[in-house]
Amino acid sequence: MGATGDQLPLVKGTLDALVLKALSWGPMHGFEITTWVEERSGGRLGVEDSALYHALNRMEERELIDAEWGVTENNRRARYYRMTAAGRAHLRAETARWVEYAEAVTGILTSPAQAG
Amino acid sequence: MSRIRRLLRLRPKRAAQIASDVDEEIALHLDLRIEQLVRHGIPRETARAEALRRFGPLDEARRSLRHSARRREERIRMRETLEALMQDLRYAARGMRKQPGFAAAVVATLALGIGANATMFGIVDRLLLRPPAYLQSPDEAGRIYVARTFDGEESVSGNMPYRRYLDLRESTRSFAQTAAHFNTEMVFGVGDDARQARAGLVSASFWPFFGVRPALGRFFTEAEDAEPAGAPVAVLGYGQWQSRYGGDPGVLGKPIRIGGTDFTIIGVAPRGFSGLSLSAVAAFIPITAGGADLFGEMMSRRNREPWYRTYNLQWMEMIARRKPGVTAEAATADLTTALLRSLETQRAARPDRSGRSIADTRPRAIFASILRDRGPNAGQNAKVATWLAGVSALVLLIACANVANLLLARAVRRRREIAVRIALGVSRGRLLGQLLTESLLLAAAGAAAGVMLAHWGGGVLRALLLPDVEWAGAVSDARTLLFVGAAAALAGILTGLAPAVQLSNPSVAHTLKAGGREGSLRKSRLRTALLVLQGAISLMLLVGAGLFVRSLHNVRTLELGFDPERLLYVSYEARGTQLDSARREGLMDEMAERARALPTVEAVGFTRTVPFWMTWSDDVRAPGVDTTRLRDSYLMNAVSPEYFAAAGTRILRGRGIAAEDRAGAPLVAVLSDLAARSIWPNEEALGKCVKVGADTAPCRTVVGIAEDIRRSFDEGPARHVYMSSAQYADSRGLFVRTRGEARGHTETVRRELQRLMPGAAYVEARPVQELVDPEIRPWRLGATMFTIFGGLALLVAAVGLYSVISYGVAQRTHELGVRVALGARSGDVVRLVVGEGTRVALVGIVLGLGVALFAGRYVKPLLYSVSERDPATFAVVIVALLVVAVAASFIPALRASRVDPNVALRTD
Repeated sequence: MGATGDQLPLVKGTLDALVLKALSWGPMHGFEITTWVEERSGGRLGVEDSALYHALNRMEERELIDAEWGVTENNRRARYYRMTAAGRAHLRAETARWVEYAEAVTGILTSPAQAG
Repeated sequence: MSRIRRLLRLRPKRAAQIASDVDEEIALHLDLRIEQLVRHGIPRETARAEALRRFGPLDEARRSLRHSARRREERIRMRETLEALMQDLRYAARGMRKQPGFAAAVVATLALGIGANATMFGIVDRLLLRPPAYLQSPDEAGRIYVARTFDGEESVSGNMPYRRYLDLRESTRSFAQTAAHFNTEMVFGVGDDARQARAGLVSASFWPFFGVRPALGRFFTEAEDAEPAGAPVAVLGYGQWQSRYGGDPGVLGKPIRIGGTDFTIIGVAPRGFSGLSLSAVAAFIPITAGGADLFGEMMSRRNREPWYRTYNLQWMEMIARRKPGVTAEAATADLTTALLRSLETQRAARPDRSGRSIADTRPRAIFASILRDRGPNAGQNAKVATWLAGVSALVLLIACANVANLLLARAVRRRREIAVRIALGVSRGRLLGQLLTESLLLAAAGAAAGVMLAHWGGGVLRALLLPDVEWAGAVSDARTLLFVGAAAALAGILTGLAPAVQLSNPSVAHTLKAGGREGSLRKSRLRTALLVLQGAISLMLLVGAGLFVRSLHNVRTLELGFDPERLLYVSYEARGTQLDSARREGLMDEMAERARALPTVEAVGFTRTVPFWMTWSDDVRAPGVDTTRLRDSYLMNAVSPEYFAAAGTRILRGRGIAAEDRAGAPLVAVLSDLAARSIWPNEEALGKCVKVGADTAPCRTVVGIAEDIRRSFDEGPARHVYMSSAQYADSRGLFVRTRGEARGHTETVRRELQRLMPGAAYVEARPVQELVDPEIRPWRLGATMFTIFGGLALLVAAVGLYSVISYGVAQRTHELGVRVALGARSGDVVRLVVGEGTRVALVGIVLGLGVALFAGRYVKPLLYSVSERDPATFAVVIVALLVVAVAASFIPALRASRVDPNVALRTD
């Protein structure tokens, strides 16, 4: 629900990493993060908005990100999120793990199929 | 928000704030989404619907996001608080390390205060608060006392005849359970193995009062506790089982000789169980079996009614448990009615000769606490212990005051640092938290040290003050530790509050200015008040010490009329060995002969009574003397000629009992001085006739007047009549006078005389001083404790005064420099500083005086022969305090007088 029909649902646990990657470009508020992920994935990944905010709460609790009220370009009050040092380390670790995982799975699935 | 900013954040977010934040965030997200879609050409309404769809179920989302946001804030706040606490602790620990002297002083002071309290709490808890081990629903259970009024004075006793217990048990309706018990020393074992130990004589109905199961075997039943002599079964005490039988389970069925009867061991009591006794019990036997052993032969020898039917033996104690719904008052009323009925039965069996009716004696029964020291006959020890608990609380207060002063001084030194922190935005709450953490840390360290102190000192104190009480646990048991924890927390908070209050509104700008000085007269009122409080409490404690020391001195130098420290009282127990009267007589003579032959023995006399322990009184009549003058009861003794030499009682006029006062010879008596003066106030008593018992008794000629003796500290000298043992009744024992202190010779004498004993008979030798000492103990306790605490209080107060004056001098270096520069001499400076210290002390003294004089009337009953307003004591204490105050101020004063004005004027 929330994602449009042809979007890929997110594998569990990757939302945090995606948010952190977004924030590695600088502080953003919630909507900016959503659009960043949508644009970067070419619209293929769908993030359910309320799930995003839940994730942001969780990460703030775990001190992977910090939050502060700020002002948008249009002078609207928005809550800006920023990555912490711990968040940066987490992103590095998650990226490495994801790449390793993806390589391993891709390697198996794309190997010549057994003749059926 | 960055971590630093977070640390300085002023207020945590509240729920409403969080909720509105969440709403705002969601609203922004939706608006931006809508704008994005509109930019892509979608009409606004469709865009709105699409935005809502993409967001997810809105209400649910809003609720759950608010919830998760709140949780986030809570968790963050908790973590921050913890981090703040850790930081504070580290900071406090670092502070302590940097100033170890200061920390040591504070910890030591608190350790003394808390340790003293822990010790006293342990003692008071045992005596007054903690119910006997294993007792179920202690509030419902109680001891029963009987009060009678004789000659205008009511006396309350917890001891009653067995028959009275049966009567009360029969006739009352208020109790679910009743039981009888009696704790006494009895002789255990035979031959060389024989020794004295505590026996608990209990009825079979005693066991259900407690929630206990035997560690081994079983308890005895109603069937085994029936008159006339019960069954010879015994339940061993746990300690006895471990120490004497090595915890051997095969102990069941073994025989054990207690008193004069062979008992069979049928069970072992659980660990820590000692019935209602404060000291450990070696074995529990049925009260009927015990009663028969103690009194059976004695009663039958005199052809009197059996021990369980007589009303003349007051020995055992009764306990009962109220039925649910029955109040203590109702129980008391029920008991009183039953008591009256019992007294009537008693009177019907044997009419009273005194001419008094039952109602004249105003008999009443009392249902009181199961703890003896909270009932009507609370021992002196309990009262003194309570006082001392109060005193130790005062000492803790002084310690806290001192520590608060020290912390205050330190906080003021750090005022710049704190002002900077406040200017940077640290909240007052945070600052307060930090100060409290410091003081709580110090308090915790003080508490730990205090517990160790209590552990060591407590053991010493218990042995010194209450040696006959069994202390089952260590000094530091769970309840005491809980108490210590509470005391430490209180101390920490109290001492932390002082600097916190002081700093709650510093003038920030003022203190940040370079060169800001504290004015000379702007003394902290709080600190002065603390010093005054310390002075007052020290005075009160020292006055208490002085009064108790004088009481103790009075008690110890009191003329008792005999020499307890040189006397042994020697008697024997037949323990079942059959002896006829001639043999018994002969045995006593043999014992006396053998004792006289010992080189360490000076004299041996026969006696029937022992002051401070066993007395027997009777009426006295004299022809020609009005009976109204002879209403008091006179103490009696039947003695041998050598008695007066042995006891050390001087004969003032005439002679003592002599060898010629045999059976058949003319009857004689020796009177004590007071007895003689009471009967014949204006005439010489020698040669007069006196009758013991009634007018019909034979005349005894007064042949001598002896020195007055006392039989207790509470009363004045006793009116005493001495008769010849050959002419009145057998003696019960010997007074053996030793060369030097009797205590050291007890065992040698005992063993020597034991050799003469036939069968299982057992010789008992008891230093008479041991009967007197427990009576002295309350005053010794009071004197020791008040002196220790008073000294402690004074030390702490002196150190406090010294440190405050020192600090004041350091602060005023500039001002003093000015004074010296302007021409003040060193003597003037010294006088100035010492004058201030003395002024503070004086205010404290006056305050303490007021309280001491007012509270004096509560201490009065505890003193002996000294007024609670004794001027000498007060004078000495006041002078001592002033001297200490001057001394404590003098050293800093000297330092002040040596201030070099050049240096001083330039300092900051």
